[in-house]
Amino acid sequence: MSDLPPTRAPVQPPVSPPPTFTHVPQGAQSWLLGRREDARLVTGAGRYVGDLKVAGCLDAAFVRSRVAHGRLLAVDTGAAAEIDGVVGVWSAADMGDELPVVPSFTPGSADEERQRPALAVDRVRYVGEPVAVIVGTDRYVAEDGADAVRVDIDPLPVLVDPGQAAASSTWLFDGVDNVADEMEFGEPVDDEVWQRAAVVVEGAYRQPRLAPTPMEPRAILAVPELDGRVTIWVSHQAPHRLQKDLATALQLDVERIRVRVPDSGGAFGSKSGTFPEYLSVVRLALRLGRPVRWIEDRAETLSGATHGRGQNQRVRIAADEDGRMLALALEVDADVGGYPIAGFVAAETGLAAAGPYLTPKVHARVRTVVTNTTPTAPYRGAGRPEQVYAVERTVDLLARRLGMDPAELRRRNFIPPEAFPYEAPTGRRYDSGQYALALDKALELVDYGYWREEQRRRRRSDTERALGIGLCSFAERSGLEQAPMAHEWASLDVTPDGRVVARIGTCSTGQSHETVFPELVAHTLGIPAQCVSLIEGDTDEVVQGIGTFGSRSMQAGGSALHQAALELIEEAKRRAVRMGCAEPDVGYADGTVSAGERSWTLGDLATASPEPLRVEGVYDNAAAFPFGTYVAVVEVDPELGNVRVLRLVAIDDCGVAVDPEIVEDQTIGAIVQGIGQALYEEMPYDNQGTPQADGLLGYLLPTIGELPPLTLDTTVTPNPNTALGAKGAGEAGCIGTPPAIVNAVIDALGQSVAGTDIGGVQLPLTPETCWRAAAGQEVGAR
Amino acid sequence: MKPAPFDYAAPAELTDAVTALAERPETARVLAGGQSLVLDMHYRRERPALLVDINNVRGLDVITVDGHTLRIGALARHRAFETPTVAPAALGRLLSRVSPYIAHPPVRARGTMAGSLAWANPVSEWCATAVALDAGIELTGPLGRRRVPAGDFFVGPFRTARQPAEILTSVLLPLLPGQVGVGFCEQRRTHASFAQVAAVAVLTLRDGVIAEARLGLAGAADRPVRAHDAERHLVGREAEPEVFAQAGELAAAGSDPLAEPHAGVEYRRHVVGVLVRRALAQAREDSNGNYGDEGRDRHEGREAR
Repeated sequence: MSDLPPTRAPVQPPVSPPPTFTHVPQGAQSWLLGRREDARLVTGAGRYVGDLKVAGCLDAAFVRSRVAHGRLLAVDTGAAAEIDGVVGVWSAADMGDELPVVPSFTPGSADEERQRPALAVDRVRYVGEPVAVIVGTDRYVAEDGADAVRVDIDPLPVLVDPGQAAASSTWLFDGVDNVADEMEFGEPVDDEVWQRAAVVVEGAYRQPRLAPTPMEPRAILAVPELDGRVTIWVSHQAPHRLQKDLATALQLDVERIRVRVPDSGGAFGSKSGTFPEYLSVVRLALRLGRPVRWIEDRAETLSGATHGRGQNQRVRIAADEDGRMLALALEVDADVGGYPIAGFVAAETGLAAAGPYLTPKVHARVRTVVTNTTPTAPYRGAGRPEQVYAVERTVDLLARRLGMDPAELRRRNFIPPEAFPYEAPTGRRYDSGQYALALDKALELVDYGYWREEQRRRRRSDTERALGIGLCSFAERSGLEQAPMAHEWASLDVTPDGRVVARIGTCSTGQSHETVFPELVAHTLGIPAQCVSLIEGDTDEVVQGIGTFGSRSMQAGGSALHQAALELIEEAKRRAVRMGCAEPDVGYADGTVSAGERSWTLGDLATASPEPLRVEGVYDNAAAFPFGTYVAVVEVDPELGNVRVLRLVAIDDCGVAVDPEIVEDQTIGAIVQGIGQALYEEMPYDNQGTPQADGLLGYLLPTIGELPPLTLDTTVTPNPNTALGAKGAGEAGCIGTPPAIVNAVIDALGQSVAGTDIGGVQLPLTPETCWRAAAGQEVGAR
Repeated sequence: MKPAPFDYAAPAELTDAVTALAERPETARVLAGGQSLVLDMHYRRERPALLVDINNVRGLDVITVDGHTLRIGALARHRAFETPTVAPAALGRLLSRVSPYIAHPPVRARGTMAGSLAWANPVSEWCATAVALDAGIELTGPLGRRRVPAGDFFVGPFRTARQPAEILTSVLLPLLPGQVGVGFCEQRRTHASFAQVAAVAVLTLRDGVIAEARLGLAGAADRPVRAHDAERHLVGREAEPEVFAQAGELAAAGSDPLAEPHAGVEYRRHVVGVLVRRALAQAREDSNGNYGDEGRDRHEGREAR
């Protein structure tokens, strides 16, 4: 299947579901734009949760804690309830026995000792935690109500740093300390290894908290139906998990709940959870018997939703005099915020510890620690950017220590292609890789020799701005290793008129499934793409599903659809046999089964028998390991500390790209977020646990004006475990970009900026940070 | 992010607007471009009981030359200053150099210069420009019109000499002769962010010697300020790099910036010095007739972001 067309053929109007295109100018119709979803999305005809019109719909607003840690003494809702248009106001006390608790992501784990109620009960643990919910006739009224609620909190000591929180005698949860989990990967490295090694380097890094900032923050609309069921319209990545969690938390039959995902304004990993606000909204819709909607706004989401990253890291690497890595030890204190809802993110950092490097001894120790900050959860990359950043900066330290070219050092240590499948000491099986190939291609495309020469020339000059070249080589994981999450469900139905309806358990939040999956199915079946439509994101239509996260959609969902299509071909042939054809004579091509003189289209076969022509199944798919090398060339104005990225070359290998254009678009998006992490983004907290940004004027995102010249290219190492050969794509850009840029800035500013092994510059590289570094001042050391 | 309830009036006559405002001055706000006010209302940091929208008032968007003065109406949008022809000679060059640094195009299409002055953000580009040029700020209230010099108008962060019942109706900028050189440098983190520091430089040169110097600074104090020490140092000296550097050091030493999460006091003070020096160098080039990109570091905008 690696012979898929490199570019999309024009497709006819989508068959289903029927979007409203009537007002869309013909020139902007989707089959001219390329993606089926584009016309409605770029003309404002998309239907997001906020666009759905439901008669009698109420709006919810939340009162959130402004105190990071304290005893919740009283919530006075009296004045709020008096406001004209306010339908009801509830604190945890008002909810009583009906107060839902967020189901643990890993039932039975230690997380259940630190339960997260839908509304704070007797303690608040971060600024932004929901304390009360107001339902009103519109959002204005609901916010007026939220304004009128009086909350009395007796402050407790505040912990904002995970290291400090782990050691503190102030515990966020009565009876259990602040270390939610401790994980180890690989065997501890003997002291002797460190002592005998020719070189040992050590680095300490801080991963700031990032706000995922999809264009559309969280959004949910719960509609009680006349038949006693409830329809949940929600912008979500994993509707089936949400359905199950809602059933658990609200003690409802799963069958009563229909979760539907309309158009979505992005997620970046941040919409896979079962959020406390969602539990309150559904609970109140059911209690009131009226539709209730909650659309999170930008001010809320920056501290009320979830954050990504947030780790304190320490990395040690031992190497011989030729730079061959002997041992790598990684220690992580992962800041999981007020409630430990997603410790698996930090586990990924530990599992991946040594990345693409052949290192005989690897050990990672990861602690997840609760603090008085917004809970952390997956954000694009989810554990991999953290690991890659820590290791890639330390590899550069090693190169500097050895006086070796950082590219050559990496090349010497890569797991060689013939070593795959490779069992890493941390207990992970890497499927395939040609790491040196990607590195070499990156160096060639950036013209590494030219820039090194230019760097030398500038260093000789007194007047020109410092130039630096930074590398990042990485291997990441796509799809999931854990058994149930490695599956995906798919079905194909042939309608009597010969069209094919595909259903899949993934759920697009902007990954172009609506275009790519029908094309994939059509290609496998040999029929025109316009004959295939896709249904996903609806738990009534799609009987089971895992969802879209971890770059799994094409690798797992696409593979499932591909296999289902192959099974459909077999089923079609069996039908022909049942109609009297001799099995050896039956062939299939281009949507038609033929045997001698006789032939049937898929539609013919669907009408020939009362039994529907359909296949469905759950298909298993192992995790895969995409990889790549990124190179950044930067120029630094040492007077002001401004970093200008002159070039960014990204070589990615995600196996076979089924739709290269869409992979490239997702890579660019991820790169921009990587640039954000490197240079702009951070949610800072003060010592009182107050987030220091409440809007996008304070929390800076890169815009099109910050986009440097990009060169994207690929190497292709097919996934050996799937017929498509596809590995995951979509997250690599934010994994490879930050270390490449930071290593380049350090390379520009010179040896002293890396300082001692411990310390050196820390993310994000703000002008002030770089100015201090250039001026030889202490920067971010700890 | 929905505002608290408020009343709304949108009179067509200035007198009606003034009257509406005078009825409850302490709780009313004037709406022009709304690019800061409406945002703060959404956050409920501002809760006016009455919003007096002046967008229907005729004639307030006019920009006219009146003798040696450019008179800018309260509804002239930032975007109007993007082309140098908005004002004769050096003033047009300066305004068109400054305006692209204000936020991003949608904000510039709505927001107004007068509104920026009335809002008085200490990092505002127009506020620094106004103090550099000794702008006249014309206020209309129940008792008539009065004019306040920019140097007296800004009294603190987001605080001005405007009385609650007054509307800032016009900004008066002195025209600058063609041979005057102008420069503008800004340090900001992204193209759409607020300035951390910005510097406006206006130089009058005679035979290479500085006859007059004006320096307006944003982000150097709790309000827009002129760098008087640096200006005094410049006058009578040759327009040379080391003189500019000395002026920068004086401006930095005289500055008293506020801290913010990503720019501490020390850094901001340092940046004042660098930007003053660079803006002066730009102004000298500009004075030499190198108006276009050749005379400037083409990347200055990006570099100094």
